[in-house]
Amino acid sequence: MRKMMRLAAIAAVALGTSLSSTGISWAEGTIKVGFIGSFASDAGRSTMRGAQIAIDELNAAGGVLGGKKIEMVSADTAEDVTEGIKAYEYLAETEKVDFIISGCIDDVSLGWLPRMTEYKIPTLDTWTSNIGIIDKLVEDYETYKMYFMNVATDEALATLYVDFGKDILAKKMGWKKTVILQEDTAFGGAINGLVTQLLAPEAGIEVLDTIVYDVATVDFSPIFSRAVDSGADFIYVISSVNSQVVSSQYVKLQVPLAMTGVNVAALGQEYWEDTGGAGGGISTLSPVPSVGFAVDPESQKFVDKYVAQYGNDRPKFPQFNGFNAYWGIKQAFAAAEEAGGFGLDKWVPAMENQDLVLKRDGELWLRYAFWKPGEVEPRTGRTYPHNIRFDITPPYDDGAPSMVVVQWYEDGQAKVVYPPKYANGEFAVPSWVKK
Amino acid sequence: MARVITPRQAALWLVFALVMLALPQFVSNGTLRIMIFANFLAIFAMSWDFLSGKTGYVSFGHPFLIGIGGYTTAILSYRFGVPISISIPVAVTATLVGGTLFFLPALRIKGTYFALVTLAFMELMYQLIQVIRPDLTGGTRGMSGIKTMVSGAAPNFYLSFGLMFAIALGLWMLSRTRLGTSLDAISMNEEAVSGSGLNTTRLKLVAFMVSASVAGLGGAFYVHYLGSIAPRALFDINFVFTIIVSALIGGSATIIGPMAGAFFMTFLLEYLRPLLPGSERYFVYGMIALVLYVYQPKGIFAIVSDLRNGKLRLPGRAANGDAA
Amino acid sequence: MVQVLIQGFLLSGLYALIAVGFTLIFSVGRVMNLAYGAYLMLGGYAYFYAVQTLGVPKFPGFLIATAVGGLAGLAMYQFLVKRLEGDHVAVEISTLILAVVIQAGIVLLFNDSSKILLPIVDGVWRVGSTSITNNIVAAMVASWIILGGLLLFVKRTHMGRAMQAVSMDTKGALISGIDTNRINMATWAISGALGAVAGVFFASYTQLNPSMWVSPLIIAVAVVIVGGIGSIIGTLIVAHIIGFMEIITSTFIAAELRGVFTMLLIIGVLVLRPQGLFGRGEL
Repeated sequence: MRKMMRLAAIAAVALGTSLSSTGISWAEGTIKVGFIGSFASDAGRSTMRGAQIAIDELNAAGGVLGGKKIEMVSADTAEDVTEGIKAYEYLAETEKVDFIISGCIDDVSLGWLPRMTEYKIPTLDTWTSNIGIIDKLVEDYETYKMYFMNVATDEALATLYVDFGKDILAKKMGWKKTVILQEDTAFGGAINGLVTQLLAPEAGIEVLDTIVYDVATVDFSPIFSRAVDSGADFIYVISSVNSQVVSSQYVKLQVPLAMTGVNVAALGQEYWEDTGGAGGGISTLSPVPSVGFAVDPESQKFVDKYVAQYGNDRPKFPQFNGFNAYWGIKQAFAAAEEAGGFGLDKWVPAMENQDLVLKRDGELWLRYAFWKPGEVEPRTGRTYPHNIRFDITPPYDDGAPSMVVVQWYEDGQAKVVYPPKYANGEFAVPSWVKK
Repeated sequence: MARVITPRQAALWLVFALVMLALPQFVSNGTLRIMIFANFLAIFAMSWDFLSGKTGYVSFGHPFLIGIGGYTTAILSYRFGVPISISIPVAVTATLVGGTLFFLPALRIKGTYFALVTLAFMELMYQLIQVIRPDLTGGTRGMSGIKTMVSGAAPNFYLSFGLMFAIALGLWMLSRTRLGTSLDAISMNEEAVSGSGLNTTRLKLVAFMVSASVAGLGGAFYVHYLGSIAPRALFDINFVFTIIVSALIGGSATIIGPMAGAFFMTFLLEYLRPLLPGSERYFVYGMIALVLYVYQPKGIFAIVSDLRNGKLRLPGRAANGDAA
Repeated sequence: MVQVLIQGFLLSGLYALIAVGFTLIFSVGRVMNLAYGAYLMLGGYAYFYAVQTLGVPKFPGFLIATAVGGLAGLAMYQFLVKRLEGDHVAVEISTLILAVVIQAGIVLLFNDSSKILLPIVDGVWRVGSTSITNNIVAAMVASWIILGGLLLFVKRTHMGRAMQAVSMDTKGALISGIDTNRINMATWAISGALGAVAGVFFASYTQLNPSMWVSPLIIAVAVVIVGGIGSIIGTLIVAHIIGFMEIITSTFIAAELRGVFTMLLIIGVLVLRPQGLFGRGEL
């Protein structure tokens, strides 16, 4: 009898789950915004919370599009590519959202991109900096035109980084030779290619050796030995996945060679806590606004709200994509007001024309605007349709810089050290490195 | 020497097909999208089951086979513009040939070691696909914007269901031939089968080739449904977990079991979404799978057929005398 | 050359420590515990939470981590393995499911960002261009002590000999009056504790991360497969083969092929010599 009951229960669950359809509640007069990203990562949460704060403000100010309220629905990707596709389908088909804001990493965004072109839902990415997506807009604007990305792409990052090499590493520190440690990922490969190509001609720094290492490397001591033996003046590290391992072993082993580069783990305020303090002396490039970045008064208001609302739960301070989500939502709805909704024909041009300049002490400090299709960026000589309008030529008076260099000091403070306009600290090498 | 298909069985298959084909009239597009994933998972689970459930050679590396099929058709159609009607058959052949070449030596190994060598193959493939010719495979990020066959929820549902149904029916008929019964016998007692004069290696090879073709076919269609492919999405221990658990929870060595299991697992995860939107969802999902599996490793289908035969067994392993 | 020797011995010590708990279960229970990597993860996170979050001193923190691992092993035996007794495939599959569940649980409790454990033993010194931390030296010393202790335990104590008997012939052991259930419980608990100890060292060397259970599991599996059904001495030897292979690959060939060579070694040995290099030894 108990067996029968169990069977009946299982059958009921199976039947119920496979045949019932989820009830769709789509109240008249609300606008739905979908969030897609990982609920468990600092990056995902920054975007989700930044978007939520912007939506709360818009609702408090009387709603949008003639007094409609905005409702946010979220779908977790768990940083998994297939789950990302399912999450996008859920937002599009079950929740029928009008607009999607994303805090996804590279391969997850690439995974749902075909769904976006199928559903034609305007989508804004705030975390991935993958140039491959912007290239799709270059090749086929009509198909991908509903996509916007308000982080500067890899190429812009690399270009400004070469300037950092010229101004600080070569001129100030007097370094002439480097060895590159590159994590074996697509991001690593792309950045490495760009930097290697430009570092010698533009900054006069010779690349003596490139060591590509496996993402799951346990022991970096042979790799550091090779780097030290190469006779380089400093190590240039490019790591986006397991950044903590390479930087903490660098600190624990007290490698007698300066190290700088890309270290994605060091982008958030929680870096110090996560490394238990074993992260001093590390510098990394970061999209803006980074940790240690002096923000403008308008963004500061957002930060204060964020800290008041979420300050007890990590990330206690928004990462750069939290700012992007906050301002991105504001801009998407401003465009929707102008276009009378999210219909692509009118919304896309309206979004392209959004231009938000944030000033600090009367100076342009941050700018949220987009490159238009066909518009050529002068320094790199190519187009970046729907990517944030970055400025990689000093004095950065035409847009925000694509990135800044953040320095973590051995006492746990973080400061911006490059470019000079935004710098509030000095580039430093760890105390155990002989200068 | 196929066993005769009774009118009742034929009627059941027909009713199943008709109910499923009528479904788009009654359920929302969101539900159809979930069913599409369930259909693909069912294909992978049936493929796994034909090798592992039937012969007892447990594969932990099935994504290796799915990946060969998926990557072959993706590279051909995305990089070289080969039409899908050519790239899919090529992908299936590649899975069959490539898989057989790689797995053939592994069939000498039994039990746990076979499981591990297949797992090692999957890991190897995961690492190599990122290192070797990233200009073709897309490296870590994979490829996005691969041609899709049809668009929209309902057409994709019909397509994936049609494929799944054809594979299920095919495997069911195959399992009723002498080949199928001999394979069942291998899982019970391989020595006895080889003692009775049958060539067990050849039988296992056939089972493997059938399983590989189904995996390759499913993988190729899957990629053309998703429109993207990435190494992390395929060669992932979580993917292995989902395939195996689907097959086992439904009841292995049956055709309907893996199918039911795949639907159960897909809908379970998706219907937990509104209740537990965050990371709790995966925890609860995994727990349910674990409890169900440990409670009855032979799956739901085993309980059903026991009931039909009028045999009631105690839960757990104690009463299962045929444990390996 | 000296550098390769030093680095090789240090890494191999760590690998031996990682593999030994896995070997133990494999020889006594003849079963592959795919949730073994989860012990390392639990141990590492328990230590992190105790020492770096709550501020417990290092040594008690270490004991807490060990206890968590031991309890996890015991619970795994009581609730999973015992129920599925005799069905190795079912044990393997259920431990795989369990590992995925534990991973989800860690994400839930600790978020999915990576965390760094401070060195258990501080200090660093240099030989030429090579830096050596006292922490990894401690891991190597601990691994030798633990392996030696385990060997003594197995050969000299009553319970150890009973374990050995079970590993050779379960039915025979049962007939000769050994309480196999008790032996199994002890083995699983010890394996869990050893895994947690290895986890603290492994994490203090690399990082804490919800998916960190996979790579030590692969190392442990590689050691057991290449060595054959695990004897303790065999584990030690094979850990050195794999450790040195990795250092040599990183130093002289190409650092990105580190994992590929290990996989090829596993597949090669399995296909050419399925019984492993050292055959079916005893504990």
